[in-house]
Amino acid sequence: MLSPEYLLSLIVFLPAIWALLVLFFDGKASDEIRYFGVIGTALTFALTLQLVSQYKLEPTEADLHQGMQFYFSMPWIPNWNVNYALGVDGISLPLVLLTGFVSLLAMIASWSIEKHLKGYVILFLLLETGMMGVFLSLDFLLFYVFWEVMLLPMYFLIGVWGGPRREYAAIKFFLYTLAGGVLMLIALLMLYFTSGNSFDLLYLAQVGQGQVPGLSFSKNFQITAFILLFIGFAIKLPSFPFHTWLPDAHVEAPTPISMILAGVLLKMGGYGIIRLAFPICPLGAQYCAYGMVALGVFSIIYGAFAALAQTDFKRLVAYSSVSHMGYVLLGLAVWQVAEKAGDPNLHYWRMGVNAAMFQMIAHGISSTGMFFMVGILYDRVHHRDVNQFGGIAGLMPHYTGLAAGIFFAGLGLPGLCGFIGEIFSVLSCWNFDKTLAIIAASGVILTAGYILWTMQRVYFGPAYKGPHGEALVPINGREKFVSYALLAFAIILGVFPNLLFQYMDPSVKLLVDNLDAAVHPATVEAATTMVR
Amino acid sequence: MDTGTVLRNLLTLAWLLPLAGFVAEIYALQLRWSHRLSKAPAQLAVACIGAGFICSLSALLYWGSATNWEAWSPQHHGHHADAGHDTGHADAHHDADAAPADAMHPADGADVAAHADDSHDKAEAHHPKFYAGTFYRLAKFGSLDFTLDWYIDSLTLVMFTMVTFIATCIHLFAMGYMKDELTEEYEDHEVHLPGGHHFTRPGRFHRFFAFLSLFCFSMLGLVLAGNIFQVFIFWELVGVCSFLLIGFYVERHSASTAANKAFIMNRVGDFGFLIGLMILITSLGTFRFFDSVENGVEQTGLFTLVRGNDGQLDVSDAPSAVNSVVYLRDSQGHRLVDGTQPRTISYMLLIAAGLGVFAGSIGKSAQFPLQTWLPDAMEGPTPVSALVHSATMVAAGVYLAGRFYPMFPPEVLLGIAYIGCITAFLAATIAIVATDIKKVLAYSTISQLGYMMLGIGVGGWSAGLFHLVTHAFFKSLMFLASGSVIAGCHHEQDMRKMGGLRHKMPITAYTMLIGVIAIAGLAIPGSAALFGQPIAFSGFHSKDAIVATALAFTELNPNSLHSILFIVPLVTAGITAFYMFRLWFMTFAGQPRDEHVYEHAHENPPIMTMPLLILSVLAAGCALGGEEGWLFSLISYSESFPLHAALSSHRVTDIVIPSHPDVLRVHGTAGGLALLAAFAGMIVAYLLYCRKVVNPDDIRRQAGGVYDFLVDKWRFDTLYDAAFVRPAHSVAYWCQAFDKTVLDVVLHASAAVTVVVARWERLFDEGMVDGLVNLVGNTTTSFGRSLRVVQTGQLRQYIMWIAVGVVVLFAALYTTLPK
Amino acid sequence: MEPVGLNAFLMVGAIMFVCGIVCMAIKRNAIGVLMGVELVLNGANLNFVAFARYTPFGLDGQIFALFVIVLAAAEAAVALAIALNFYNNHLTIDVDRGNELQG
Repeated sequence: MLSPEYLLSLIVFLPAIWALLVLFFDGKASDEIRYFGVIGTALTFALTLQLVSQYKLEPTEADLHQGMQFYFSMPWIPNWNVNYALGVDGISLPLVLLTGFVSLLAMIASWSIEKHLKGYVILFLLLETGMMGVFLSLDFLLFYVFWEVMLLPMYFLIGVWGGPRREYAAIKFFLYTLAGGVLMLIALLMLYFTSGNSFDLLYLAQVGQGQVPGLSFSKNFQITAFILLFIGFAIKLPSFPFHTWLPDAHVEAPTPISMILAGVLLKMGGYGIIRLAFPICPLGAQYCAYGMVALGVFSIIYGAFAALAQTDFKRLVAYSSVSHMGYVLLGLAVWQVAEKAGDPNLHYWRMGVNAAMFQMIAHGISSTGMFFMVGILYDRVHHRDVNQFGGIAGLMPHYTGLAAGIFFAGLGLPGLCGFIGEIFSVLSCWNFDKTLAIIAASGVILTAGYILWTMQRVYFGPAYKGPHGEALVPINGREKFVSYALLAFAIILGVFPNLLFQYMDPSVKLLVDNLDAAVHPATVEAATTMVR
Repeated sequence: MDTGTVLRNLLTLAWLLPLAGFVAEIYALQLRWSHRLSKAPAQLAVACIGAGFICSLSALLYWGSATNWEAWSPQHHGHHADAGHDTGHADAHHDADAAPADAMHPADGADVAAHADDSHDKAEAHHPKFYAGTFYRLAKFGSLDFTLDWYIDSLTLVMFTMVTFIATCIHLFAMGYMKDELTEEYEDHEVHLPGGHHFTRPGRFHRFFAFLSLFCFSMLGLVLAGNIFQVFIFWELVGVCSFLLIGFYVERHSASTAANKAFIMNRVGDFGFLIGLMILITSLGTFRFFDSVENGVEQTGLFTLVRGNDGQLDVSDAPSAVNSVVYLRDSQGHRLVDGTQPRTISYMLLIAAGLGVFAGSIGKSAQFPLQTWLPDAMEGPTPVSALVHSATMVAAGVYLAGRFYPMFPPEVLLGIAYIGCITAFLAATIAIVATDIKKVLAYSTISQLGYMMLGIGVGGWSAGLFHLVTHAFFKSLMFLASGSVIAGCHHEQDMRKMGGLRHKMPITAYTMLIGVIAIAGLAIPGSAALFGQPIAFSGFHSKDAIVATALAFTELNPNSLHSILFIVPLVTAGITAFYMFRLWFMTFAGQPRDEHVYEHAHENPPIMTMPLLILSVLAAGCALGGEEGWLFSLISYSESFPLHAALSSHRVTDIVIPSHPDVLRVHGTAGGLALLAAFAGMIVAYLLYCRKVVNPDDIRRQAGGVYDFLVDKWRFDTLYDAAFVRPAHSVAYWCQAFDKTVLDVVLHASAAVTVVVARWERLFDEGMVDGLVNLVGNTTTSFGRSLRVVQTGQLRQYIMWIAVGVVVLFAALYTTLPK
Repeated sequence: MEPVGLNAFLMVGAIMFVCGIVCMAIKRNAIGVLMGVELVLNGANLNFVAFARYTPFGLDGQIFALFVIVLAAAEAAVALAIALNFYNNHLTIDVDRGNELQG
């Protein structure tokens, strides 16, 4: 049993420490560096597992700090009231676990990286620190710092180790994310000064929800702040029309970085919305709910159609991410305000938020897997033109079986993880808006269309049509390990989704109840009078 | 252990065994317990599904003995009013069986029986009509609970036994049929590589059986499902198994295209299914079929919510269906209230939900307008066609319609009836012109599924499901026979090259004939008068039941349009007999058309003919006794709400669902007409293809337009391609073009603007800001430089300056200081 | 005999000062220049002493004069050293020959 301060800090900073240690390696000792990197990420993953084992499913009052477990806060920059505050709840816990898991697999998948390996591993580990920090920090400035910290390694990882157009992609990624970061910064300052100089996310949430006597954010203020935050996070999510960085970044990034990008980075958008934008600006969120759902539904359909038209395998998978993350937005925002206590409306929203959370994890697994599957082919034949493949099933049968499993998870086949997130978010939508629900449901056809068509072109058929056919050798043990790990998680989560829901649902319920109470007319009225 | 637990354990075992088999078989080579030339994976698969069959059969028999076999005799229908029916079998230990356990709730069915008909046999109340419970929870969000449940009634048991039995036969058959795959170098004659030679690959015997096992698992899960959400889960899983099996020959482009088409068409149906699910979960808040108890609180299931305990919809008084609502009720028949407001569902929403779920059935059962995938699905190996695409999976759509029957308001039932009616006719007409032996069977499958839908739609719940079971037997028989022909003729499927094969392969020919007679619905005329009931094969009885219900329906609903619901199936019965006999005559009778094929044809080994023989016995005899027989009785025992009197959702529509007595009244007429139609069809086929009274080619030339239209399958593929596939691709193209030409251009433009602004800023910086600073510096420098000349280094000159300075100072002081 | 007044002292001081200046300006010999400097300083000293005698400032003037004398001594030492160095480098002590300090 590690105390929370050590455990959480270790999870966040162990990769950074490891990166420092990598500095002492001889740059030519490639294998040693690789194994060392794998050990670092594996240790971090072990720590996240430790966190899960220490996390209490039925916490007592003493374990909780406003719904957070392992919460602690110590002054960092006292003059500005900035704290080093970390904590975890059912919303961030699965994402922390996912980050550890995907980082480990991506590090194992990094064997094909040859150039400047030392720098690569260092940046990779720094990136992991940034990601963990984002998911664990409970102080807005700390969050912001981690958010930006994660950006730089990513820029270099794409810009140095990427494909032919890597610089374009890296800059595009950088600018998009930075633009989002700037909007977030504005919101951060607005909130800081309006709340009487606080960066504490939990306190800000209380203020936003009208639970602090004498202090509240007005509706217009909340709407402005919400939109700023939302755009910042929607870029990361990514949602239409802020998604065009994603295909380029994915196509140019090396395979392990694509895995991280799809597996973890996109989740920060969803996480930001649910951790920051919603609790702090409930009135703004309620005001924008319809727009968000519409945007989510549009992303689902748009991403699927765009994927259908791609011939670059990685681009195709990237657009499928746009489509899948649309379900996240959809599920998060199906907020039909309860008319009275115990109104089932809230249950549907709760289902939606849970589904969105689940979809994030599921997409983290299926999309990571899909990129890995593409990467296996790319490592062998060095091209990604879907129309130049074919016959892979005959040449690499084991690989094809695994790929089929992963792609079916992306397709939303029951028994695999993708299904649960998709179906529950769509089911939750009918209560919110029938038209949008029907459009969202039609996504199942398109998804099946583009995934099956791709599988047909790549895996089926008599013969491979592209160059370097002789390089298509069966997958090796390392690749098998990564694929099986992903597929196993996809199956476990698909068959026993309650494993995840039991962690998420209590936190989601708390959030949903608080937010709904916050926008209840009586609460809003009371808060307004208090301020007057 | 009580009955429910025993049944659950047996069926769960039967359900999960194939899954274990799948895992072992797919890794047969990796785990090195088998090798590519070994039949061991197939033997394992047979063992799994065979054990499943034994479990299912034991469950059926156990249930039978536990209920004193009361479901096995026809007397449990109210309409027989058989005074001599045994009422004394409600022993004490049966009461114990029926006692509610935690996971199992006493069936509302028992209540239904007791309430609906007071004169009804009271003893039945002691035997629950179904057993149900929960395996484990998937998720729970407040009041919304998603679980994996089980629901076992006589229909489940019959389906389990039927599926596992047919699957076992087909597995055995496939061991023979797929033996070509037992090789390191399988040569695929359908795939031509550039260079003129055929494609060769290692055999995939083990993988075929792995997929079959996975399919069996999914199918059994679908049957066992206790809530509609779970049905959806396994619905998709059987879909993917079908995808894998159709596309088994992945090298063939036609196969993978057909597999995709099947999956995507099914997804179109599932889109509707999903809408149905959304409506149900939102309006009713549950997916469970049955009532359950959790933490002492009764959770009312779907059927009770909508149908109460008397099978009637509790519809509000409203002038039109649009405004009316259905009151939700609990198992006592009381209206549920939510605070003070009664809980209701809008009648239109109930219709929409019903149509949505039925849309799933349309996709899965290849009903109009989603029928086009099934013929293409014949690309799969023939055992697959027999198991998946005729006997079981496609029938799942009918099964779902049957399972979900209580949720369908009469309007939806009418829709189902019409869809079934159209499908039956449409597919039958295409089957007339098909020449591929498997395609004929495929169209006949679609047509027969249409029959089942029609039966369910007009209120013949038992009739439709009865036909499902009989059809499964005779259609799997015929598919296997066709597979036997194909294997015997070295993968020749074109009937125009066959003929006279009955001499070469007699077992196949005569078992096939049994299937043909069964599906055509032939009976010995006059046997009914002589023996009290008609002597006929299974198809006659079940089709008879459907046609009779349809006639009763049209009589009860005198509407000129509705009468086609009787006329079309009648005509279709004739067409069915025609094309099935055409198939048999073309293949087995007459003279060989292609000497090459004929010479090489041979009867298949016993592993393939034994299943044919076994299935032919069942195809002939499973429906023995017709609607008095055990099979029909078993099925109708679980009839979701008793049709002792005609049902109608009065106040909303005037559609009347016929009751059993109504059907019984017209049974003779309908049966006679159907028999007449079947004989007519058979005779025409005999004249055309055996006697050659008229050359069929002449007819073809005479009616060229119609012929082409039928050969093109009513041009649905062309229509869908033009209406959906192409537009989807162009929308896709436009979407990605939008990304490239609008979003990215906006982005690039803003980047370009930034660069231009930056360039101007640089000019400003360099010109103005830097210029100003430099100016100050330059001025200072040049001023200093100009002063430099004064510094001559000449000491005496400096002193001169000092002196001059002093003088000037003095002068200045002297002039300025006050005196 | 009329006592000698302040003006006379100032007069002598002024003459000495002017002589010193002129000496500094016209002599090319560095020693001559130094001698001019001495004259200027002593002219100033005379003024200090005279003002001290004829005004009520007490001994301030004398003390200043003493400081100036000390300074002049120091200055002469430094200046002679410079002159000596100058001679070492240029083999002359003509100040016009040294113009290294030209700007």
